[in-house]
Amino acid sequence: MDDETFLLLLLSDSNLPTGSFVASSGFESYIKHGFGGDQNNRTTMFMRDSYSAYARSALAFVSDTHRIVQHVRRDPEQGSEQKSDLDKHLQKIKEVDELYDAMTLNDVTKRASKSQGVALLTLYSKGLTPPLTTTGIKNLKETEIEVNSYMASLVAQYKSLVRAESAPGHLPICWGILTGALGLTLGKYNLTSQYLHIFLHARSLLSASVRLNEIGPYNAQQTLLHISRSVIEAEVVRCKDLRTGIPSSTGTDPDQPDGVDDKSRGPANTWPLGEILAARHDLQHSRIFNS
Amino acid sequence: MPGSSTSISKLQAGGGRITLSSHGGKAWISEFSATYPLKLLSPRLSDSAVAIVYVLTYGGGLVGGDCIELTVNVESDTKLLLLSQGSTKVFKDRPQQRLASVQRSDYASRSTPGQAPATLQNMNFTVSSHGALFLLPDPVTCFRSASYSQIQTFRASQDATIVILDWVTSGRKSLGEDWVLSRYYSVNEVLIAGKRVAKDVMLLENNEFDSDSRLNRSLAEKLSPFACYATVILRGPLVKETIAQLTTRYGGISIMQRKAPEDLLWSLSSIGSDKENGAVVRVAGKETEMVKDWLKNTLKSLEQHIGVDVYRRAFV
Repeated sequence: MDDETFLLLLLSDSNLPTGSFVASSGFESYIKHGFGGDQNNRTTMFMRDSYSAYARSALAFVSDTHRIVQHVRRDPEQGSEQKSDLDKHLQKIKEVDELYDAMTLNDVTKRASKSQGVALLTLYSKGLTPPLTTTGIKNLKETEIEVNSYMASLVAQYKSLVRAESAPGHLPICWGILTGALGLTLGKYNLTSQYLHIFLHARSLLSASVRLNEIGPYNAQQTLLHISRSVIEAEVVRCKDLRTGIPSSTGTDPDQPDGVDDKSRGPANTWPLGEILAARHDLQHSRIFNS
Repeated sequence: MPGSSTSISKLQAGGGRITLSSHGGKAWISEFSATYPLKLLSPRLSDSAVAIVYVLTYGGGLVGGDCIELTVNVESDTKLLLLSQGSTKVFKDRPQQRLASVQRSDYASRSTPGQAPATLQNMNFTVSSHGALFLLPDPVTCFRSASYSQIQTFRASQDATIVILDWVTSGRKSLGEDWVLSRYYSVNEVLIAGKRVAKDVMLLENNEFDSDSRLNRSLAEKLSPFACYATVILRGPLVKETIAQLTTRYGGISIMQRKAPEDLLWSLSSIGSDKENGAVVRVAGKETEMVKDWLKNTLKSLEQHIGVDVYRRAFV
């Protein structure tokens, strides 16, 4: 089994501590406010609108952050230049992060995004870097050790920025950092990180649906396998070329238009109804989810 | 020379400039120009600190290929209220350009041959220290198959006030139009003292390319049951009270399980990490009139800053 496949299995484990358990992606509010008609179709209907909206608003940020970290991975600088390069990369990521913050004008979504984001950074630092005791670990090449150490540094320092409230630490950005730091990249069309992100979002929503008594646990699996899959794929493919407009490197990037936020290629909110309901989450008299 | 330009800017079709300057406590319009199909009107007002400008288009609507570029400067200690007369109607793409036009802007010339260009409104606003801009137009209505983009950029000083209303309706009810537009794209970007604090991007599209019809959700299905969606961005010293009122009102709402949606829903969020920096209000209503009344009542506190008579002209 290759490294990447093992990583995918690990990252899709539902035991992974990511804090998504408390988020319903606005579904609880949707139901409480009387939307979706009768219970039979509610989950599928919400799912369709929600994945599409989330993909369009977040995937460009996952892609661009991932690209910044990937760029670091490919040519780690040597020696004394390393510190200033690290700062440069941290600033770039912070720029993307702040753009997401400015574009997500929804207190509930921001709150959920930040708490899950920092959980992912913590996951990397505490759960995915090589342990201190080295018995049993396969021999790594010198360059791999260096890259891992640089990544650990990058993540740790970005997390400090977030804790100090200098950077927002939003979920799509932190996911880009995590998957970039782990070296998750290839797979078909270079979309693995994005695909997994939407898959996890989809699964989290179905799990919320079960807990809200909307669908049963078997029905949830059935939906995930037979219905969600085509929706996830359609959305990932549709959003694969989106960019935030912030260049990933100082050199020329053939993928990136010249810093211009072209209206057909940027992130956007495509479901204003979902936005309002998600923001109104806290207005529910009683609720079991945090968002 | 007054105003921010030292030379007359080259005029292109649909271009316009407004500069509101202050002199001896009075506000006066030092720059005021528009080319077809854009039209600007400014009624004389008794209150000297406030000015009103109506932003209109000949024919009351926009057609494919129209490109409106408006630059607005609100200088220190002045207040500008920008209104429209009736909703901005956007017609479906048409292959020919308007017959009476001065030189087309670069945008319109860039259209793909064989494909009708969409409609674009591009507006740049600058609001200086202790200045205030109230952008309260009527909503945009995109007719069947219309394609519309609107990009509004606001650059404000730390102590400037801005109120931005951006709203869209589902179409002509009489013709049974229920969100049958082709594309609606609207950006509102706010920079305070050079730093971007908000960028609201709304994209509504009827997707034709999904091959699996089971997956296809039309815009009407996604946005149902509401016929009008509005966004209001508020920030600055003159709206602190309005935001505080909204916050109190919002905090008093408590939702119990409902069987069906309400006629009107609204949400409140902050710009940045707390409402001190401004707020974003989103409203959705089953009818445009409902949303209009709600907005008129909610923003009534602006009367103390622009006067009752001036405020009355908004939301007619």
